[in-house]
Amino acid sequence: MGLAFNGNMDPELSSLSSLGPETRAQRREFLKRLAMVAGSSALLAELPWWSPLRAAPVSDSPSDRVRLGVIGIGSRGSFLLANLLRTPGVEVAALCDDYPPHLEAALAKVKGAKGFSDHRQMLDMPGLDGVLIAVPLFLHARMCLDAFAAGKHVFCEKSLAYSIEECQAIADAHRGSSKVFQIGHQRMFSPVFLRALELIRDGQIGQITQIRAYWHRNGNWRNPVPATGPDPSPFPSLERRLNWRLYLDYSRGLMTELASHHMQVANWFLGARPVSCAGYGSINYWKDGREVYDNVNLVYRYNNGTQVIYDSLISNRFYGMEVQVMGPKGTIEGETGKIFAENPPPAPGIVQLINEIEHGFFDTVPIGGPSWVPELKKDTKGSYLVREHTADDGTAISMAAFANAIRAGKPIPGMMEQACRAGVSVLMGHNAMEQQQEISWPEGFRE
Amino acid sequence: MKDIVISGRRIARELWICAGCVLAALGVNVYAIIRFHTEWKELITTLHITLAVAAVFYAVLALLRGCVFGVMRAFRRKAA
Ligand SMILES: NC(=O)c1ccc[n+]([C@@H]2O[C@H](COP(=O)([O-])OP(=O)(O)OC[C@H]3O[C@@H](n4cnc5c(N)ncnc54)[C@H](O)[C@@H]3O)[C@@H](O)[C@H]2O)c1
Repeated sequence: MGLAFNGNMDPELSSLSSLGPETRAQRREFLKRLAMVAGSSALLAELPWWSPLRAAPVSDSPSDRVRLGVIGIGSRGSFLLANLLRTPGVEVAALCDDYPPHLEAALAKVKGAKGFSDHRQMLDMPGLDGVLIAVPLFLHARMCLDAFAAGKHVFCEKSLAYSIEECQAIADAHRGSSKVFQIGHQRMFSPVFLRALELIRDGQIGQITQIRAYWHRNGNWRNPVPATGPDPSPFPSLERRLNWRLYLDYSRGLMTELASHHMQVANWFLGARPVSCAGYGSINYWKDGREVYDNVNLVYRYNNGTQVIYDSLISNRFYGMEVQVMGPKGTIEGETGKIFAENPPPAPGIVQLINEIEHGFFDTVPIGGPSWVPELKKDTKGSYLVREHTADDGTAISMAAFANAIRAGKPIPGMMEQACRAGVSVLMGHNAMEQQQEISWPEGFRE
Repeated sequence: MKDIVISGRRIARELWICAGCVLAALGVNVYAIIRFHTEWKELITTLHITLAVAAVFYAVLALLRGCVFGVMRAFRRKAA
């Protein structure tokens, strides 16, 4: 039986998710509604990064147009590109990738865009307002710093950077510039997560007492590598170029590639950064030459006594991925987009009677159930946070926010803080597992 | 094709049976409300369920009546 939550369900917010903005015209209509919601949401104080979305949607006239370039057009870069092409008032003017097959494929999709194999040349291109960076993690800092130095607005994919020092360097460079910075944590723009936060602040689950997040897959996490291909340099081999996330020179594995999303949500919902963390990781299944752990297990401690428990593995997908926000009155599951009350209101009497008769007919007769049965997971179905889910996980909205912020010429408030908190959290987790000791939030870190 | 004539008496009888089924379903709802200590407003809010239960009663009754009718007809044929 679905639970009816009688919190002040914001009809505008919940209807946002029912639009799948596919064409530019549809997306413009969608952004018009979004501007209304962004302007009226009582939560804006906690979502400063939604402020660019309050601007009225733009026309396609050249004066409204922002000219953007994408660096790194692999899997994520292609997705961002597809979204950019549908965002009103955006012109994709340049594309950069140092792997020819990826650059050629991208150029074939965008008429009139200029292609580059070196991002510095692209940054010198006159008239380019900003860049989107979707390259392997170890290059994020270098490219962000180069882009700020060239006076460009920057959208950088998560996770912020490869090391805590690099996170600091990006934050410092941004502080010294007047440019827009945005991080690719799309849940910050997801109506589902927004609704979750709204219900949490409304007291629907009570005080957050624990957050548990996990990301489980069953697969080797590899891209296929062709027997022959273009020169892989500066990578030593095609294997390392295409499967960079498996090697420690380029990535921090499950932490930076997957956990960063849920650590961003946890820090955001708790309104805090972790004080310290501890945990273990290992390679216990995919012993195929990879260097990053295939399973990680961590506990993050926050200064109000709340803990965030995170685990990830790639040898079992039964539980999939989820971020569970728990309180004494209920649980919110962000990825499924549902809320579950601890004590749901009982079903109507007649439904209970029918259920009882049904159980009488169809259930096997227990000889004597184990005493822990009442402690087992409850089988309540919960209720959906928003009426309908769409294909957009927040990425489309985040593209519009980036373009609007550039047009307004104002940095997006709160964005760097979210990027740093998530980026540093996952690196703390990596260091804790590597050093097998509790790691504290870096003293003196300036977000 | 042969016309099927349903007499007024027959229609009235079916309507009475229907009404009886609705009443019986309402009775079940009243019993459930008392038994599970739920709210009386459920008599209205779960009307759709009550009507569905009434339809089930009517269908079960129709089946029973069909069986009785079939058996009686078989006996009558044997006796003739
Ligand atoms: N937000 C999300 O949900 C999400 C999802 C997937 C990936 N990502 C992030 O996006 C980034 C890219 O991941 P991916 O899955 O697309 O990887 P990918 O390997 O598919 O793509 C990376 C691209 O960068 C190019 N590249 C490498 N070095 C370059 C250089 N020096 N100059 C220009 N191009 C260069 C590669 O040739 C490749 O085309 C990562 O930081 C990843 O964490 C984010």
